[in-house]
Amino acid sequence: MARLLGVEIPNEKRIDASLPYIYGIGRSLALKVLAETGIDPGIRTGELTDDQLAEISHVVTGKKIVVEGDLRREISIHLKRLSSINCYRGVRHRRGMPVRGQRTHTNARTRKGKRKTVGVQRSK
Amino acid sequence: MGRSLKKGPFVNQKLLWKIDALNETSTKRPIKTWARASMITPDFVGHTFLVHNGKDFISVYVTENMVGHRLGEFALTRIFKSHGAHTAKVSK
Repeated sequence: MARLLGVEIPNEKRIDASLPYIYGIGRSLALKVLAETGIDPGIRTGELTDDQLAEISHVVTGKKIVVEGDLRREISIHLKRLSSINCYRGVRHRRGMPVRGQRTHTNARTRKGKRKTVGVQRSK
Repeated sequence: MGRSLKKGPFVNQKLLWKIDALNETSTKRPIKTWARASMITPDFVGHTFLVHNGKDFISVYVTENMVGHRLGEFALTRIFKSHGAHTAKVSK
């Protein structure tokens, strides 16, 4: 278990598969970072020297890639801004509904969560 | 798809004229408008707009971080009366 960029502990996989365990680094960004450092993407994370790990984190911070807590904070600030100005996108985020104009007649389960049935309550 | 950068943002010219007129006399009066697609520019900040939502005019007070959005984003066109509550009020 190697330690990289604070709390993140990617496991004993190929380094190009381990880097995406960091929030904010996906597959393609991982390959780009590795290309910059000149590390072979096929090498196992455990076989990397401390210098190489330092090199990776150096490149990530040097390229101003926002990861982990900072990224999460950035996203939540954006959401808060949308919601505070009361615009349509903010309202959709607040209600947990799809934001980009998708249909909600069916589907949209990712945003809306598990189906909840509402029956009709008739007055007596 | 986004709008071509070549054209610049769409801002309703009439709104800009009206804002200019208000700024000259330094008065604050709500501006009634149907131009929901108009982008909010920094000139709009501090003014109130009555944006049409298809039925009524919704009062929108423009603040600084609304710049770059469109007027229509602040006047919702749909109302959702919740499901399942067929209480006395509704089923009269």
